[in-house]
Amino acid sequence: MPGGIVLSDHFVLVLTVVYFLLIWSIYPHMAARRNIANLFSNVWPLLALVIGQMFVLIVGGIDLSQTSIMAVTSVLGAMIMAGRFDPAKFEHNPLWGVVFSEQGGLLAGSGWAVPVAIMLMLAVGVGIGFVTGLAVAKLKMPPFMVTLVAMSFFSGLAIYLTRSENIMHLPESFIAVGKGSIGPVPSAMLIVVTLAALAFVILNLSILGRWLYAVGQNIRTACVSGVPTGRVVILAYVFSGFCAGLGSILYSARLEAGRPTLGRNLLLDVIGAAVIGGISLYGGKGRVLAAVYGVLFFVVLDNSLNKMPLEFYSIDIIKGGIILLAALLDALRTRIASRQTVPEGIS
Amino acid sequence: MIEWEIEFDGIGKSFFGARALNEVTFSVGKGKTLGLIGENGAGKSTLMNILGGVFPPDEGTVRLFGKEYNPSCPADAARAGIAFIHQELNLFTNLSVADNLFIDGFPKIGSSPFIDKRRLHKLAAELLSSVNLHVPAATPVEMLTPGERQLVEIARALSRDAQIIIFDEPTTSLTAVETKHPFEIIEKLHAQGRTIIYISHTLEDVLRVSDTIAVLRDGCLVSTGYSRRYSVERMISDMVGRRIEQMYPARNAGPGTASVLQVEGVTQPGIVRDISFELHEKEVLGVFGLMGSGRSELARIIFGLDSCQTGRIRIWGKDVTGSSPDASIRNGLAFVTENRRQEGLLMEAAVSENLDLPSLRKFAGLGPARIIDRRKSLEFANRIAETLKIKSGPVRIQKVKNLSGGNQQKVVIGKWLLTGSAVLILDEPTRGIDVGAKYEVYGTINKLAEEGTAILYISSELEELTGMCDRILVMSNGEIRAEFERRNFDKQKILEAAFSCEVLAGGGRAGHSGLGDNSGN
Amino acid sequence: MGNAKRFILAVLLVSVLFTNGGCSRKDTKSDQLTICFAFQDLETEYWVAAHKAITETLKAKNIRVLQRNAHQDANRQLEQVRDAIAQDVDGIIMIPQDGQSAVTIIGEANKAGIPIGVFNRPPADRSNPALVVVADNTAIAEDAVAYMAKAARRLNRKITPLILVGDLGDQNSIERKNGFYNAVNANPDLFKKPIEVPTKWDAVTTLANLEAALQVEPGVDFIFTSSDFLYPQIKAVLEPLGKWKPIGDAGHVILGGLDGDSTAYKLMREGYVDATGVQDLFFEADAIMKALIEAIEKDRTKPDKWIQDPGFALTQENMAERQMDMWGCRILKEAEAGTTK
Repeated sequence: MPGGIVLSDHFVLVLTVVYFLLIWSIYPHMAARRNIANLFSNVWPLLALVIGQMFVLIVGGIDLSQTSIMAVTSVLGAMIMAGRFDPAKFEHNPLWGVVFSEQGGLLAGSGWAVPVAIMLMLAVGVGIGFVTGLAVAKLKMPPFMVTLVAMSFFSGLAIYLTRSENIMHLPESFIAVGKGSIGPVPSAMLIVVTLAALAFVILNLSILGRWLYAVGQNIRTACVSGVPTGRVVILAYVFSGFCAGLGSILYSARLEAGRPTLGRNLLLDVIGAAVIGGISLYGGKGRVLAAVYGVLFFVVLDNSLNKMPLEFYSIDIIKGGIILLAALLDALRTRIASRQTVPEGIS
Repeated sequence: MIEWEIEFDGIGKSFFGARALNEVTFSVGKGKTLGLIGENGAGKSTLMNILGGVFPPDEGTVRLFGKEYNPSCPADAARAGIAFIHQELNLFTNLSVADNLFIDGFPKIGSSPFIDKRRLHKLAAELLSSVNLHVPAATPVEMLTPGERQLVEIARALSRDAQIIIFDEPTTSLTAVETKHPFEIIEKLHAQGRTIIYISHTLEDVLRVSDTIAVLRDGCLVSTGYSRRYSVERMISDMVGRRIEQMYPARNAGPGTASVLQVEGVTQPGIVRDISFELHEKEVLGVFGLMGSGRSELARIIFGLDSCQTGRIRIWGKDVTGSSPDASIRNGLAFVTENRRQEGLLMEAAVSENLDLPSLRKFAGLGPARIIDRRKSLEFANRIAETLKIKSGPVRIQKVKNLSGGNQQKVVIGKWLLTGSAVLILDEPTRGIDVGAKYEVYGTINKLAEEGTAILYISSELEELTGMCDRILVMSNGEIRAEFERRNFDKQKILEAAFSCEVLAGGGRAGHSGLGDNSGN
Repeated sequence: MGNAKRFILAVLLVSVLFTNGGCSRKDTKSDQLTICFAFQDLETEYWVAAHKAITETLKAKNIRVLQRNAHQDANRQLEQVRDAIAQDVDGIIMIPQDGQSAVTIIGEANKAGIPIGVFNRPPADRSNPALVVVADNTAIAEDAVAYMAKAARRLNRKITPLILVGDLGDQNSIERKNGFYNAVNANPDLFKKPIEVPTKWDAVTTLANLEAALQVEPGVDFIFTSSDFLYPQIKAVLEPLGKWKPIGDAGHVILGGLDGDSTAYKLMREGYVDATGVQDLFFEADAIMKALIEAIEKDRTKPDKWIQDPGFALTQENMAERQMDMWGCRILKEAEAGTTK
């Protein structure tokens, strides 16, 4: 029964597989080993971001600052690790001589450089998330505005810190984090699957997960029922910032540079994948599996569009159209589900 | 020869295999008022939904004036002259009264799409005066009291010249003073020859307004007849299927002497002033007052949802003034709010998820992960559901929004039973619950009191308070005006105290004449 | 536990899919070559003309072209190139977003053994081998500004120079700036300290900043733009101030630029612009394609060669003989003649 499939939790996965098979029949290259490998290497960093965004969406907010957290952490991490700074480009930087010099970043050459840089990137993500979460939870500011302002501020900060320059010469060990493998398994996959497992445990098994959903469904009821709503909201944004830091590590490693423009065009992909996966923009709903399915669909879509002889402007049009369709389908699914319930009656 | 306006003939309806209505056959005479009563889940709403065109019956036919009546949608029912005044009003609060009255058919200027504002307001004013509602037609609905809003709904029904009007729990959200309004209207409509179906749990009211009564139980028609042949006791026993010896169960222990909750001089300007009282263990302390007297606000302040400017609140001697709700719960407070939909329940969540929400920490497993022991929490949830006789599907799956109002209220109360609190604050705990369920709730409250819980019981039903409480505080205008011990319970005096401020101010609405038909007897 | 089981299942499924990679069919190698052309948005006439030149030439040689636009996103270009590599293209021509991402992407091509050519925007260093065609921006700019200085000398007064600087992430901008300063510093007695106006290669930013600069220093009489596509903005600022005058007029502001597009040519023809540094677009396009195709045919997987386009400065003096060497002029003449190439 078509209704059954549409309502199923795995609808998006089914859609992805069907779409994949369809494209495969036209472009046999879709299933080639290297293509699949590419496809998945594009999945992991995006999935990290979407998982973080999901936490914020569940509590009824939105985090537009994820991409600029990526930018600023990418740059800060690079300043610690990079092996060499071209004086021609960086001489006039305010931090020249203070944080980095021609010999490299703050800890260049030391065995500590990469771990410290990674810790710093995650910590900055957490810190920014804490500030935005505080503004939303305690100052009661609308999340859209707070995170939009944060996005603007931190991307500007990233560009200021580097004077628009990209920081190259990152240590091999760092690049291996994003691009390398442990045996047959890519390290990016290991990292993000661990993240997803952590998110799964939090959301489905722990008290925090129940609190997150309660706050997203009805913050007033949650408050009356003793949920520490302020803390819960802040934690959601902190987690989102953490995931953005993680995403930054993966993307910076793959581009082999600290880039102040990292993730600039990624926001549509993140929110789009979340919506496609079925995470509600209204709050109270969202599962790790939904994030996985959404990202999978999105990346398969992107990958397939690369194969088609389309004019380059068509890709954005198509992506936007698909996201709109996903949102409409979501509304339709909600309506079908509600019709199956007994109508509300007299008390 | 009585002219039958509405005939139900062998009506049956099932939902997913569960029988909601079974062979229901009875009739309503033209221009008569039918009182339809029954417990929650008895089938009243299903029957009215069939009449209102929401869905068709599986078996049987409905006839209007002898002709078969088969609406395919609510609009058909409206065209047939049927109007439905719901308990949960369907008004647009951000629009004006006039807009709401004519929302589906604005008077236009000629054939243009522009609204004829002058005619709109004139027609609106006419309608309003026909229901005795004296507010300007341009008033935004959000500024009206629930009672006034109800009159607007009724006016809307009249504007469509409805011949059959169904009233669903019309007095539940009204203040004591406003309660006489719907009765005046019903009399007027009756005089105009319209047919009325009146659904309510306030059985005295039903007896008063109805010509005939029909009692549903578990989807079947149990009895029907002239209202003069009914008494409240008979109505209850027909509804419930057994005799209820008394409305309020007996309590086996009296209040203790140890003071659990102490409130001293709590003041919040404009809301409450200088509130001081003590609550003892095993005591049920009632708080009575009209709407706006500050009772609910006081409860919210004690629980920590709102703040107070001055004053102290102590639990077992510990100063807990200004605690957040989370801290209050840990200090031993529990709060059943008066608006279950907005603050009491997570409507989209399952019953078990609602029941264990305040007590999650108790089910947390080892380590920082705080993993919930699902089995344990489910066990508790099932136990609570059993104790309170919550009628629902499996608690892990059943969404709260699909329960009847009474069962929803039981869930709200139930979730606090797991916390083992020292003080339970109840704000209108039996609002919208049928008689049988009320009894169960009263029994639970008594048991809690016996086991040592101190209970603060806020209600606008004086009957209930005099039946359940050891003491009653009367609030008016943000202050405590009087205190009555159980042995000194005097309904007249209590009401006077509740009205005291308004009488002093010389307000026209309250007065001894108004008290007469309000005291319920 | 249904949720947890499903999750683990999904992860396993995904890993299996990945490690086995589905069916690895090798596309039958046809005689036709396939080249991936990865570029950024075509914002200026130069890029539009370059895109046209490259794609049409390749098609004319019966080479299949996979066009990919990365919309100025380095990560996207990386993904697109990886995708092209996975499709076993024979060669890649790339216009990178910046020098650093160029190095990374070249590295990917190297690893896969696919020859790669970089057009006009050079990689930040030579750590990864590639074919690079790049204009000698410094020399070209210096030549153009030198001519402008010569014209300035005839005015017998101290000149207030201004330079519109491009996005400093672009290596070409830096070199053009250096060329400008080389010429200016060679004439210390002629020039006051030059005013630098940042443009970030954006028209709107240029307009605002140039306006502001002229408010502060209304005596500017010598403007060099790092790219010809900004001439409309220059005109929009100078005209209302009464400074948009042709050569010969007393109020003429000495103007020069770099690129060689049709706008510059037209303005030179009309006498508003004194000199334009010309990148020989057709030479550059031909050179990169020739080098790449040669590398493909010779099975070179990591060809490493930097080809320099010396370019030249088209001035009012040599216009008559050399104008047809300017690609903007050729394009304009073709358009005027109504022939569609």
